[in-house]
Amino acid sequence: MVKVMAEDAFESIVAAHHGEIRRYLLRTTGRATEADDLSQETFLRAFRAFRGLPPDANVRAWLFAIATNLMRNHFRAQSRRRRAYAAVAVEPRGPDGRPEAQAESSEARARLEGLIEGLPLKQRLAFTMRKMHGLEYEAIGQSLRCSVDSARANVFQALRKIRRGLDDLAPVAMEPER
Amino acid sequence: MSDLDRTCREIEPDLVALGAGEAGGAETERVERHVARCAPCRDELTRYRALDGMVGTLREGRLAGEDPTLARAELEARLADLRSRVVHFGVYPSALGPILIARSELGVARVRYLEGGARSLAAQVREALGEDAVEDEEAVEGLHRELVEYLEGRRAQLDWTLDLRGARSGFQRRVLEATARVPYGAVMSYAGIARAIGRPEAVRPVAQALRHNPVPIVVPCHRIIGSDGALVGYAGKKLGLKERLLAIEGVRTEAGPGDPRVNRNRMYALQAGETEYCLPTCGSLSRQQLAGLTLFGSRRRAEAVGLAPCTSCRPDLHPLPEQG
Repeated sequence: MVKVMAEDAFESIVAAHHGEIRRYLLRTTGRATEADDLSQETFLRAFRAFRGLPPDANVRAWLFAIATNLMRNHFRAQSRRRRAYAAVAVEPRGPDGRPEAQAESSEARARLEGLIEGLPLKQRLAFTMRKMHGLEYEAIGQSLRCSVDSARANVFQALRKIRRGLDDLAPVAMEPER
Repeated sequence: MSDLDRTCREIEPDLVALGAGEAGGAETERVERHVARCAPCRDELTRYRALDGMVGTLREGRLAGEDPTLARAELEARLADLRSRVVHFGVYPSALGPILIARSELGVARVRYLEGGARSLAAQVREALGEDAVEDEEAVEGLHRELVEYLEGRRAQLDWTLDLRGARSGFQRRVLEATARVPYGAVMSYAGIARAIGRPEAVRPVAQALRHNPVPIVVPCHRIIGSDGALVGYAGKKLGLKERLLAIEGVRTEAGPGDPRVNRNRMYALQAGETEYCLPTCGSLSRQQLAGLTLFGSRRRAEAVGLAPCTSCRPDLHPLPEQG
């Protein structure tokens, strides 16, 4: 009986968090296929580890941590591959990640997205978790395996860099379109 | 550096926090006091606030490829598959030593004799089931109760649904199914099973398949013996267990020069395809190899599966001496 209840609980976790975790992965990888694969892997891992999770655990933070870890491994593997390709001078050109989004966004938004993409990975992830998903710094620290202060410092560094990247835009032009 | 410059530097983190909507009361007040008299920082704060607005728009905006429906459906399918493979298990003491029983959503997936003593039970369980198995005695408690009754000779049947997805091949599955049809209190030879599945030449592969029986006792590989009546092998080197399981069912074995053996001259016999059981001396059996026979330890066991006594050798009138 106990296990039946636990499995139902996992179903409700999928229902509650799959969309958001996939969105997080979509934002950070920029590709739907990668977001699909990594979100699937996140939940399969979560399913296996679910039984060991303390009842009072922050499930959302836990899922973000699994997803972040998988994604960082994914990026590491990808950059290894890229180096390998570069060595034989064959630069792989994947499909553009977000043609649709870019077409419909203003220039300022496109620049903002470009700046976020150009951030060092840790800052980019901290920024995305905080600013796009509203995660607590404690959860971000767990995901990035760093202290709360360091998580916060990473978000602030990201903000500074983005802000400097938009230096030439007048404050008015930076106002969001309504 | 002027005082104002120094203040600008010191206040910068609070200014960023305020611009990003993360400043507390004290920070807010400090920054506001400062920007009231510092134009560059006022401009800076405006820019951070504008940036925060843009970030908000980005957050609320749609993402290309955002629809998770397909990914979700695929995930659900994978999870359902994973769930059906998760096994719950219990480990119990028994007259035959510690026994592991494991079941999945579909049925009993594993029965295994564990070794008491040297190696830890947990390690043996992991070896048998992998890492993902869940210890849950409640889930297999009913099975355990029936197994105990069976081992005490109070139950002749384990009507368990089996999950044989772990079978190594279709061949092994057919061997296991044929073995499961050998009745309680009876024995048959490996060659007999090979014939039963239509592969009379595959005697050794049958023995191999049974050697890796994932559900011993339930699929009664202990009822399968060599063509000369010798018990041959069981669960590695546990011939003693095979002997005991047969004894529980009323099949007596005799110590031989080699392995203990079943003496066909002290067993009732059924020829494949017949509905009557015979005395071992029945004329119809004289040249019959063990491969073509099922042997019963008692008339009661033969008749329990609906067999009638042979009308020529009349085992009902001249029963064999009772087996002890």
